[in-house]
Amino acid sequence: MGTVFAIHLYAESEPDALSFFEVAFEEVERLEETLSKFRQSSEICRINRLAASQPVTTDPEVFSLIDQSLRYSEQTAGAFDITVGPLMRTWGFFRAEGHFPSSDDLIAARERTGFDKVVIDRAARTIQFAIPGMELDLGAIGKGYAVDRVVEILREAGAKAALVVAGSSTVYALGAPPAEDGWTIHVPDPFDRTRKISTLKFRDQAISTSGSYERFFDLNGRRYCHVMDPRTGMPVERVLQTTLIGSDGAMTDAISNALFVLGADGDALLSKFQDVSALSVLADDPGQRILKWNWPDAAIEGNELVDFEPSYGRAQAS
Amino acid sequence: MNRREFLGRAAGAVGGAVLLGGSERLFGAPSDQINLGIIGVGSRGQQLMRTFLRVPGVRFAGLCDVYEPRFAAGRKITGENTPIYHDHRELLKARDIDAVIVSTPLSFHADHITAVLESGHHVYGEKSMALTVDGCNRIRDAVKRSGKHYQVGLQYHYAPWYREVLNRIQAGKLGKITQIYAYWHRNNSWRRPVPPGADEKLARLINWRLYKEYSGGLVAELGSHHINFANEVFGGMPESVIGSGGIDYWKDGRETDDNVQVTYRYPTGQTLFFSAITTNRLDGDQIRVYGTDGSAVLTEADATIYYEPKRPESAVQQETIVQHGIVTGATYRSELPYRGVGEPVPVPADKMGSPDYLACASFIDALRANKRPEADEDKAWNEGIAVCLGNQAIAQGQRLKVGEHLTKAAPA
Repeated sequence: MGTVFAIHLYAESEPDALSFFEVAFEEVERLEETLSKFRQSSEICRINRLAASQPVTTDPEVFSLIDQSLRYSEQTAGAFDITVGPLMRTWGFFRAEGHFPSSDDLIAARERTGFDKVVIDRAARTIQFAIPGMELDLGAIGKGYAVDRVVEILREAGAKAALVVAGSSTVYALGAPPAEDGWTIHVPDPFDRTRKISTLKFRDQAISTSGSYERFFDLNGRRYCHVMDPRTGMPVERVLQTTLIGSDGAMTDAISNALFVLGADGDALLSKFQDVSALSVLADDPGQRILKWNWPDAAIEGNELVDFEPSYGRAQAS
Repeated sequence: MNRREFLGRAAGAVGGAVLLGGSERLFGAPSDQINLGIIGVGSRGQQLMRTFLRVPGVRFAGLCDVYEPRFAAGRKITGENTPIYHDHRELLKARDIDAVIVSTPLSFHADHITAVLESGHHVYGEKSMALTVDGCNRIRDAVKRSGKHYQVGLQYHYAPWYREVLNRIQAGKLGKITQIYAYWHRNNSWRRPVPPGADEKLARLINWRLYKEYSGGLVAELGSHHINFANEVFGGMPESVIGSGGIDYWKDGRETDDNVQVTYRYPTGQTLFFSAITTNRLDGDQIRVYGTDGSAVLTEADATIYYEPKRPESAVQQETIVQHGIVTGATYRSELPYRGVGEPVPVPADKMGSPDYLACASFIDALRANKRPEADEDKAWNEGIAVCLGNQAIAQGQRLKVGEHLTKAAPA
């Protein structure tokens, strides 16, 4: 996963807090060792090494996460896709060497990309790639899943209030701090991360953010961000940030990524999920435009915002 | 091809495997299903379950524990309604179990592992071998008597970068190995949370690693891996050990030391020093192998080789140098620690994998091929005895000669 995990929690005593951290970070390490594409010994790397030549058996947890990812791919019509690795590599985003690829490279990378080229067998719990050169990358769902698992472990251990944070990707608010009705979360302004566009309190929910401000390159006056549109093989343009609140981190992580790819067309997707709230910041000329979905209006600070575009409105989507 | 269509067609392949009774059946093809039971579904047991389920044709047919919430956790991992047992003797009567994982607290290993073997099942027993010398002897004897396979859970034994370093050592690439310094340095309390409402006994069981009734502490839980490696490098078990340790920082009612240092001497005049601390993680988990021609540093993820600078070679006879009182060039070299890069030990892609996976897959291969596991009862015994005597040396504050204690503790 390759991200910084942080846990803020309230406990009865310091030893209690230390023991919560003990099991929580043990779980983070376990998941890193299972899901990270940066560790050659991980289960994902094992699958990637073997799945082009044979069906690879994996355990129910990893299988479920891959299966769930493929379902999200179907639900998002490919806007979310865990096979996007070859495209990322071709565009140079794995090594922070972003560049515009040659058309041959792009065609080759697109051939090796596509969730529909992952063949799974639920009874045998196997994963197989339809063509060589494919790879799975759970980067767009794994951090959210890890947050969910840590929250589950903290709950089992008796923790009542904790904020579990996976980098800038996903946060889960477990319970609330003493005498508070929730954890306070700021949604940053993508133009200036020290400013906020929304502040809200939430509890027992996950919040995920996808942004173009982390990794990008500029070429001929256009900005290419590291989030790929798996459907076109091109980086997403004109979307600055998406934020999604929902019941679990794996879902909010994956769907906030898909929402980023879909931009202003995201509400058909959002209508498929119950009890989600979303905020998308799009690049406008000049400035930015903020679209909301189920977002508590009062939470917006000094920003004009509109609902997702009428042509994709709620009534139509439902 | 549509993914969902494929699912429907493939569904019968594994479900159709024929199950034969008990552990007497022979396994042949890799497609033969192997049914595992597990005694002890704690954090380590759960990780072993997940890992074994990555090996094709493995299924769990029984979960045994004394703590009720473990059953739900175990069933979540298997993804099915796996039968549960509150008593390991009942699990061992189940007719469809081929082999059993024992991942209970260390003090139970001897009873549980011997019970598994005596019931006619193969066993994957977590490390360390047993809490006492007597326990180690009982397990080794039970393996020999039963003819069943026993693999000890020393997963780094199967790490390809460990094997490659051993190959290079055995090929003489590092010269004569004189010392191994091994560390497992952490900065945490090692104490797990106890759920609200747990009684004192349950609280101690959940944190069994901290209580001498159950645990061999840091030497057993962490040092066993390093000791096993040193045993392999030095070709057997140590002949003596001294040690020190104490509860010097985490004064929270624990009984096992929060820092230990043990020094083992091998019959060949070689030394293993092992240190585990819980207050600083600079050095992490690593093994540093020192040879006259080079060094190797092994970690949980990789290994690196550092070659020694060439020794000065004199153009004239040594005799001449001594006669004229000339100091050799070695003296002029800086004594600063080496800060350059080393040579990473390459691991071929087809041998790569997590040590846990490779250990579990190797155990299943051993069952299918009816062959002796690599980390067998002899290696486990060498490791287990060294752990027991290391802890005894710390407790007594004396140098212990291994041979004397084997004789005293041998079963009647």
